[in-house]
Amino acid sequence: MFKLILKMAWKNSFLRLSRTLLVIVMIAVSMSMMLGIQGLYDGMAFNMIDKNKRSDSGDISIYAKEYRLDHDIQHRIKNAFEIKDEIEKMQGVSAVAMRIKADGLVSTARKSSFSSIIGIDLEAENHFGEFSEFLKKGKLELGKRGAILGLELAKTLKVRIGSKIIFSTQDISGEINSIALKVRAIVQTTNIGLDKNAVFIDIKKSHKFLGTTSGEATQIAIMSQDEKLLGRLKTKYPTLDVKSFLELKPMMKQMQDMMLIFNSITFVIVMSVVFIGILGVMYVSILDRIREFGIMLGIGMRYKYIRTQIFLEAIIVGLLGYLSGALLGALLLIYLRDYGLDLSSFSDALEMWGYEAIIKGTIKVSYFTTTFGAIISASILSVLIPLRKIKKLNPIEVIKAEK
Amino acid sequence: MFKLALKNILFYKGRSITTAILTFVSTMLFIVYVSMMDGSHKSMLENSLKIYTGAIEIYHKDYRDIGGNEYLIQDVKSLSDKLSNIEGIEVFSARYETYGLLSSKEHSAASMIAGIEPLKEGELSSIKSALREGEFLSNSSGNCLYMGVELVKKLKLSLGDEVAFVGGASDNSFVADLLKLCGTFKTGSYEFDSSASFISRLYFDELMYAKNKASYITIKVTNLDDVDKINGEILKVIDTKNLESLTWKTLMKTMVEAMEVDSIFGYISLALFLVVIFFVIMIYGFINISSRIKEFGVLRCIGLSRSNIFSLLFYEIFILSSVAVLFATPIAGYICYYYSINPITIEGMAEMYKDYGIVSDEVPFSFDIFTISWNLSIIYILNFLSLIYPYFHINSFRPIEATRHV
Repeated sequence: MFKLILKMAWKNSFLRLSRTLLVIVMIAVSMSMMLGIQGLYDGMAFNMIDKNKRSDSGDISIYAKEYRLDHDIQHRIKNAFEIKDEIEKMQGVSAVAMRIKADGLVSTARKSSFSSIIGIDLEAENHFGEFSEFLKKGKLELGKRGAILGLELAKTLKVRIGSKIIFSTQDISGEINSIALKVRAIVQTTNIGLDKNAVFIDIKKSHKFLGTTSGEATQIAIMSQDEKLLGRLKTKYPTLDVKSFLELKPMMKQMQDMMLIFNSITFVIVMSVVFIGILGVMYVSILDRIREFGIMLGIGMRYKYIRTQIFLEAIIVGLLGYLSGALLGALLLIYLRDYGLDLSSFSDALEMWGYEAIIKGTIKVSYFTTTFGAIISASILSVLIPLRKIKKLNPIEVIKAEK
Repeated sequence: MFKLALKNILFYKGRSITTAILTFVSTMLFIVYVSMMDGSHKSMLENSLKIYTGAIEIYHKDYRDIGGNEYLIQDVKSLSDKLSNIEGIEVFSARYETYGLLSSKEHSAASMIAGIEPLKEGELSSIKSALREGEFLSNSSGNCLYMGVELVKKLKLSLGDEVAFVGGASDNSFVADLLKLCGTFKTGSYEFDSSASFISRLYFDELMYAKNKASYITIKVTNLDDVDKINGEILKVIDTKNLESLTWKTLMKTMVEAMEVDSIFGYISLALFLVVIFFVIMIYGFINISSRIKEFGVLRCIGLSRSNIFSLLFYEIFILSSVAVLFATPIAGYICYYYSINPITIEGMAEMYKDYGIVSDEVPFSFDIFTISWNLSIIYILNFLSLIYPYFHINSFRPIEATRHV
């Protein structure tokens, strides 16, 4: 019996071909657009968060207590090297990086700008956050006098690879010190703070320049997927400021939340409108065949079989729409993931806001599962009202009624 | 035809109500969304303009690209005389900007130090009104420094404290002096407040050997809409071989572009809603027309032409759209107008997004009749477009065939 009902439902779904095709196209177009937008926005947020973690804070960062309020080199972690060693041995830690940072003035012969010198170990940074992936120009090597500049800072100073710069700041004894450096590379981390201000130099060189010892650091950044690690570190180092990524960058959390809210609102609105579309078509499709259903009831077919047939019709239309939408959406998402949305003509603006000129999307299975649930639910719900009408039918009256 | 269309609308209530409601929703959404987007962008630009950047700025060519003392404006006085005669310029002033290190007893920080004409600056920018503590500068302020609050925090200074300044003069010689903190300001722009300090030009010119020289001349115009016209006048009187006069559109090109990018994303999101609504209106129109094929067949048989049928359908959608638009526009317009006067306040937004140049917690809407008009035009166009497929569907039937359609 079910096979027969399924066959009837399939045939009836295409009884009015244009109408059914319109609904399928509507579902496919709106779903693929929605998936594309979700993927693009999620991709923007994910990219930003990922690169911020990899270039700076990691999943957790440790500072001296006063450092975050007052970025003064006096507030540094004195036994940073020992702490780094201890953390590296802890379970769930995948990478640890130590950095020393001081704010100052960077100048060329013609331009000056505020900046921060950041002492890093390139090898450790590559292990920590694949630093080499941020390279835009030049070669990632620091050497004796080498410096790596953030993209925005390089633009402000109008420097190129090989340009000479002078960085001046106060060392730990309060003396104003200057260091001459040669630009070896320009990086774009999409972390605005770093892209606008960072002058990366070798950590050993920075210790010598700032008068600090090799065991000291202003920041210890940790990569770890272990959610309990933060609590363990806070207990282990109560005299230090141990913060998670989202505590350090509440804006990122807000951005993530805003994307989620925006995507959810978009999803609800689009699905509601799609529901109205399916409802219209299913309602008319059933009313058109009301005599047919009357006859079916009249010859003894039970209501539950008619109900199943109508549900199946709605599901077939919804499913076909979903499959077309999923296919189009997947193609769009794959394109956005692999090639991205090229906004190179706005590169200056995007880079100023910490985005890359080519914005790449992301693909999540949840896009397809939630949309599947929503479209099938919308399809099923759309036939509830016409079904009530059929349930109340008096077969004889319907058969007698003029078409 | 109009009368017939009206009767059809009243007869096919289901379709009419759905189309009108969906048009109402899309009109409201479109007008309010665009107003919010435009309003917030305009506010960001205006805030940035108010703080320090002028509506027009005159530079020596290559100062912005290459920089350096050889690209300073050398004869400020004669240029000022020419500018004084141009109508539409409210006030202008020559600024001398340099970067240097400022040191308190224990701390040092880099700063942009600008020599300004205090009286004129009060009218040109918001730095005077951004006063927090102490006093703004005057021509007789001498070595007084007026400093951003974040920079004051960095240097751990109090009013009256001495600050050592080290930098380079306009002739490339080394300069060092002892200055005094007389006032602090807070504009809301974190970057500006943590890096800028000001000093009276009368004193600074002596120190920097910068008499009659300027990094640039900043101009405030009476009406911002006339900025291109006034810039044209300026270009006529200045030595364009060596100087360039740029409006805020060029000076803040990156920010303008950033707004454009944000708008692109906004319109992409909006397009999704409009496309879905367009499809639903088209589906309902199509269903309605499918059930009236017989009726159209009869109308054609009694002598109505294809264009008459098109007019009938056009009037139907026009009436439905107009009813929805008539309800939606005043409501949406009022929302835009209300929030343009009483902006939505999102507490902590400026603090959260300080790195992005957001200086205010307020999100004002824009109330612009022209924008609302083109928004409405788009809604009408979409609704008219939804007619095309149903119209071709009807025309695929011959009149006799249509009368027999089941």
